[in-house]
Amino acid sequence: MEVTDEQLMLDYRDGDGGAFETLYARHKGALFRFVLRGVHSRAQAEELYQEIWMRVIQARRGYRPRARFRTWLSTIAHHRLVDHWRRHEPATVSLDHEDAAALQAAAPPAAQPEHQAEVRQSLERMAQAIAALPAAQREAFLLQQEAGLSAGEIATATGAGEEAVKSRLRYAHAKLRAALDDGGT
Amino acid sequence: MLMQSFGRHLTMAGPERDSDVSRRYRELAREEPPRALDTEILAAADRELESRAAPLVAPTARRRWYVPLAAAAVIVLSVVVTLALQRAQEDPELQWQEETPATPKAAAVPEAEGQADPKPTEVLPPAAPAARQITPGIRAERPASPAPPLDSDTRTQPQVPSAEGNSVRRSSAESTVAPLRDELSPEDWLRQIADLRREGRQAEADAQYAAFRRRYPQYPIPQALREQVLPR
Repeated sequence: MEVTDEQLMLDYRDGDGGAFETLYARHKGALFRFVLRGVHSRAQAEELYQEIWMRVIQARRGYRPRARFRTWLSTIAHHRLVDHWRRHEPATVSLDHEDAAALQAAAPPAAQPEHQAEVRQSLERMAQAIAALPAAQREAFLLQQEAGLSAGEIATATGAGEEAVKSRLRYAHAKLRAALDDGGT
Repeated sequence: MLMQSFGRHLTMAGPERDSDVSRRYRELAREEPPRALDTEILAAADRELESRAAPLVAPTARRRWYVPLAAAAVIVLSVVVTLALQRAQEDPELQWQEETPATPKAAAVPEAEGQADPKPTEVLPPAAPAARQITPGIRAERPASPAPPLDSDTRTQPQVPSAEGNSVRRSSAESTVAPLRDELSPEDWLRQIADLRREGRQAEADAQYAAFRRRYPQYPIPQALREQVLPR
């Protein structure tokens, strides 16, 4: 049976470095993408991403599993993003060239060049639609998709009401659906 | 268009999730942090373990003791410092008044004597003869003339704030009882007060009694002396 995130964090608190490695491997991709879509550039995302994990590391000694680990991690990430938005202008996220290249590389290797171009266009449209969402809707959507949080857990992580989160999610999905449909896919 | 999509996705995968949108997002979501960043974060996690040894006592147990212990320490420290400050403020003032009779206020007294009616005061009579008997050495250092009336002192210094005036008055009164206070046992002091009352020097006895109480606030007065000592 797989060890839970909370148990891994407790093990790390008690001095098991390997537990942190496992925990990190489980959450690094989702957390990185969540941060990446919330800021202006990849450089800022990497800086914030590192800061978030440093907070986790520093909080090790006082860690107590009051909620799911991923909710706790999302709360830390939310606070760091809010701090970032306060310091900088509101995020109007779009993927830079580096990210577009990463998307292209992520396409199935067996795909034909024409299909690759189509997939890339579709993904870019999706990325732009996500970037165009209001910050609160985008954050709720990303926490749902990347962290796998329920509306209640998103409400806990962001300090919003659960009904407000549900509303944000509904609007986010509707706007993204509209963007995809407009693209003719 | 937006409303059409909104209505359509409600029927698909629950009100807050559109499965098609989620699928398309998963196709998009491939980015990973750079390997160098992974290495840096994992190294920081290891450094944290090396730099801070795990606590011998569980954090929860420690926290349970820390807060009340710290609070108790702060309270005790505050009380001790407050008491020490009070004593430090009171004692030097008394000593200063005793040892320096020629202070500016005292120096103003002879001048006032010439202007004011030298009627004897009811508040503070001349120094007690009893004190003279017991502490001849100290009395010899004091001026032979009786202490000036207090009201003349206050008349010549109208600018002195009332609080300071009270302080001067209290200090002068205490200076007359200081030798008794310092050199008598509580019981002897009470007998002296009783003697004063027997001689009809009530004001002086009252001042002595007040000084006695300041010096020994908790001292129980023997029943035999109680009526002779307490203010009437």
